[in-house]
Amino acid sequence: MKNINFNFGRHLNRRTLLRGAGGVAMSMPWLSAMAPAFAGTAANQPPKRFVAMTLGLGLLGENLNPEKGGRDYEASPYLKELDDIRNQFTVISGASHPEVTGGHRAEASILTANPVGSSGRAKNTISIDQLMAKYHGLETRFKSLVVSSGGSDSPAYTENGAMIPALDSPSELFTRLFVNDSPEKQALAAERVQQGRSIMDLVQEDAKRLSRKLGTGDRRRLDAYFSSVRDLESRMADNEAWARRPKPSVNAKHPVDISSSRDFIGRQRLMSDVLRLALETDSTRFVTYHLGGSGGVVPLPGVDEGYHSLSHHGRDEEKLEQLAIVEKEIIHAWADFLRDLNKTDENGFTLLDQTAVLLTSNLGNASSHDNRNMPVLFAGGRFNHGQHLAFDQKNNYPLPNLYVNLLQRQGMEMDSFMTSTGTMKGLEYLG
Amino acid sequence: MDCHAGDEAEAGFDLEKLLKDPTAPADRDRWVRLHDRVAAGEMPPPDYSEVPAKEQQKFVDGTAQWLKKLVSSEQNKFGRVQARRLTNLQLERSLHDLLGIDIPLANGFPEEPRTHGFNTVANGQPMSHYQLEQHLNGVDKALDEAFRRVLETGNDEFEEDLPAEKFVRTNPKRRCREPEMLDEHAVVWSSNMTFYGRIPRTTAKDDGWYRFTIRAKALNVPEDHGVWCTVRRGRAVSSAPLLADIGAFEATSEPQEWTFTAWIPDGEMLEIRPGDTTLKKAYFKGGQVGAGEGEPQGAPGLAMEWIKFSRIHLGPNDETIRKNLFGSFKIKQHKDWRRAEVTGDQKQEEMASLMAEFAERAFRRPTEDEVVQPFTDFAWQTYEETGSLIRGLRAGYRAILCSPRFLYFQEQPGQLDDYAIASRLSYFLWNRMPDEELLQLASNGKLKDESTLKNQVRRMLQSPEGRRFVADFTEQWLDLSEIDFTEPDRRMFPKFDMVVQQAMIDECLTFVQTVLDDNMSVTNFIDSDFSFMNERLARFYGIDGVKGDELQRVSFSPDSPRGGLLGQGAIQKITANGTNTSPVIRGVWISERLLGQEIAPPPQNVPAIEPDIRGANTIREKLEKHKSNDSCASCHRHIDPPGYALENFDPAGQWRTKYPAPRGKKGLPIDPSYTTADGEDFAGINQFRAIVLKRPEKIARNVVEHMLTYGTGAPISFADREVVEQIVERSADKNYGFRTLIEEAVCSQIFLTK
Repeated sequence: MKNINFNFGRHLNRRTLLRGAGGVAMSMPWLSAMAPAFAGTAANQPPKRFVAMTLGLGLLGENLNPEKGGRDYEASPYLKELDDIRNQFTVISGASHPEVTGGHRAEASILTANPVGSSGRAKNTISIDQLMAKYHGLETRFKSLVVSSGGSDSPAYTENGAMIPALDSPSELFTRLFVNDSPEKQALAAERVQQGRSIMDLVQEDAKRLSRKLGTGDRRRLDAYFSSVRDLESRMADNEAWARRPKPSVNAKHPVDISSSRDFIGRQRLMSDVLRLALETDSTRFVTYHLGGSGGVVPLPGVDEGYHSLSHHGRDEEKLEQLAIVEKEIIHAWADFLRDLNKTDENGFTLLDQTAVLLTSNLGNASSHDNRNMPVLFAGGRFNHGQHLAFDQKNNYPLPNLYVNLLQRQGMEMDSFMTSTGTMKGLEYLG
Repeated sequence: MDCHAGDEAEAGFDLEKLLKDPTAPADRDRWVRLHDRVAAGEMPPPDYSEVPAKEQQKFVDGTAQWLKKLVSSEQNKFGRVQARRLTNLQLERSLHDLLGIDIPLANGFPEEPRTHGFNTVANGQPMSHYQLEQHLNGVDKALDEAFRRVLETGNDEFEEDLPAEKFVRTNPKRRCREPEMLDEHAVVWSSNMTFYGRIPRTTAKDDGWYRFTIRAKALNVPEDHGVWCTVRRGRAVSSAPLLADIGAFEATSEPQEWTFTAWIPDGEMLEIRPGDTTLKKAYFKGGQVGAGEGEPQGAPGLAMEWIKFSRIHLGPNDETIRKNLFGSFKIKQHKDWRRAEVTGDQKQEEMASLMAEFAERAFRRPTEDEVVQPFTDFAWQTYEETGSLIRGLRAGYRAILCSPRFLYFQEQPGQLDDYAIASRLSYFLWNRMPDEELLQLASNGKLKDESTLKNQVRRMLQSPEGRRFVADFTEQWLDLSEIDFTEPDRRMFPKFDMVVQQAMIDECLTFVQTVLDDNMSVTNFIDSDFSFMNERLARFYGIDGVKGDELQRVSFSPDSPRGGLLGQGAIQKITANGTNTSPVIRGVWISERLLGQEIAPPPQNVPAIEPDIRGANTIREKLEKHKSNDSCASCHRHIDPPGYALENFDPAGQWRTKYPAPRGKKGLPIDPSYTTADGEDFAGINQFRAIVLKRPEKIARNVVEHMLTYGTGAPISFADREVVEQIVERSADKNYGFRTLIEEAVCSQIFLTK
């Protein structure tokens, strides 16, 4: 592969990689990280993880979705070379988020299923990754990771409907995950965190006094500030505990960022590699990776027009052909990520068994900015994969139902998410 | 009623549902739109109309009455705007004002959404733990810098003279990308090579503001203009390839001097080189330039005699910062400022008075003891725990800067008090804290007085801080900050380069500033007989007789298409995507930003129509197909006309009469004629302007609405419309002068109530 600047080595011996306090090798990372601080939790259960990969420019449905539904579907052009992992993923067609429209603006709704894009008037709600992280994120150093291939836009939203900016540098991500700060810096950070907690107490009292003098309208709005203060305070408490613990070390070279934004696939593979390390070391359990649409020409043989411009193919055959080359590579890079997770053993399960991986986009048809018929590939997490769940292309099935499956798999007793009508028909969790 | 009823309602607009609970706040926008469309005679559609005109008018009046009453009563109770926050820019400048520092901070805060066009609008301002955490980080960065300035030994400012021999390549035999020595000048030739012209000698050792003067002349000067050069900064290595623009100048055969001020991060250096894409280029082999290889090629070059390079501070000096933050405490500076020592007598009293003063400034109003006390206690407690006055003070300041009284506007429902007016006014015109004069007037209760307010508006706009109003406001109103969102395709627009783009922004800003300074009519935004350009931009536009790199006023003949904002390259570029133009996108933009014609979002149950571009020839034909659908046409008759009028301007802002030719074919001619929604035909941009200018009050109303949204933090509601009309009427005899409109807006009830 051209332009990949580093390789982590496919067969890591994890026993040599992960050290707990005192340099003792640990084989179960989630134990090394968690046992001291959260001894009361069910530490023997391997953790359940979720990775959402979201595309800004969609995928061509005709090349992605097999013609036939069920388990004996014939592989579509995009899935032909994924035969070896066929039983590790499910293709879902004819599903989308009800009422969500607005073309590109619906990016904000990919993981929230909230129709914010259509009117611009409504407020966004929490995205599924953040909802999971809210309940299960405290058990790792990072509650969640929000990354992108370029730029700070992301489909991850807080409860207040604020976008969580993405980190777009694999190198910077690697530093945050695996490079320890100097002791001096650590001490200063700890002191600042501690003082920060006191300040949060202080300003909360101040805000209460202020709020008494305000009109009801302001008071309601100031609630966002209150909950921000409370959230930050609780985060700071966690951070303090984590700040005292060394970061895991990995046997991998520090990645070098790919500067060319045109190299969409190279960036995807590089970021995916660092994300795999993050999952292996149990640094986080919830990842959102946004692959927005870059405008440049993706350096692949046979492609000479910009990715964004190709997505507006207007059914032009030459454009469709080039777009297919790019999209196929995106899917292949995604498949390689799955294969890597599948190779990693975690207490008798593969890492892929423990990680549900979603690939989707707000755009079912980028050329007309249509938000129906979203492309959906869903892998891992011990579901009954190996099938094509073909729903009605004209009258779409609610995709939020899949999100309910995902939440329930996390052990969260929720039977709805936004416009869901239940769990997804035909999808089962194998436990 | 048949059309808009039930689940299958046209445009997803179900009247039956709406009528169930007419006062539902969620349906407010729908009712307003319903009122507006019936009032404008657009609905019900003429073909379907069975409703007598009298009945329609009755409906319109009735709806207007109850809507206005309802919205007014809500506004009286809660105010138009609730719990508005300082924007990133306002935070940055407020921290600068409070602490006396000058470092950029806004970029470190989370990106902010723009609602109704502006990030000042309270409704869309996000607040989460993430925002708060980044806020705290920004506060820490600001406090570190202020404390460093006071506590670090010595002064970080310096000045250095660099004659050519000090910044040319060190080894003349090595092929590299640094300037070469030629006749006692540091020379860089016109070339496409990346990083050529980088000057390692100028590498910044610390983040900071630097001012540098370049004395230089041009070599091999073209016949009809000088050699335009760019100044950029960056690490200038392929692993960190980004270069940020600092400025441009036009070198001539006569030596001249140019001075630039720029923020340069640690490790970045200057790159200075000929940067006009139209110049002849020299070629060099192997990605490096050998001394002597350029001269024989005859391409233009830049010959620098010397550079004066200095580190400076913008704003107050270190001593002022010390007084503000450390009062009478004695300071023992240290090379490592974190190890400096601070001592003093009557520590507790001094600390309390420093905290009280700081809180009052930060909260922008007199502050009761009970409000300040917890902060003072916290500072003192930190001092007692750590034995360090520095840590104590820092803790107190840190806490004050996280208080909602600093972060939010404090406005009570009803008439604003004087201090709230002072803040609203200073953040509107300056995006920074009210100064002493404003606070003094507030404490004397003078800010509700109309003539005082108008005098303040004039004073503030003329002050150095006020010179940023136009840039701050147009950055969002006209999307000027998004001008480099796309880069015009080099192959299609070979004459466009970054020097042109910067000149376009300068043209736009200087133009709007002039309209403001001379209190000219805002109809100039639609058409004007003048604008501003330098030689490079004039050459790009194809206008003769403009020399030099300073912007100068250029007068247009009546048949010139370049008048007003509509005729400016900046606007034409912003409304295109770099490769082609769309009358729809331009039409929506011009309607909403300049004409005050609000365009409703596409109806909810109508999917985007997939454009089948096979067989369609011009954009006009594509849209003709698009328009053959009735439900599209009802909006597109408003959207498309201004877009068509601008078709003669290409995506880079140049005049064109033909579309670009597809492979092996001839370019099709452009037809900019169309018909307005009111049925008036126009042949092109100038006739379109003339039609728009028949209703100058509409242009004025649009400007007022955008300004008040930006300045108050809430969009214009149904109940505000009457006041807006009054503002417009009151400025009619001043020909809708831009400054008069601002003054009248500031004195209006919309601005002076919550």
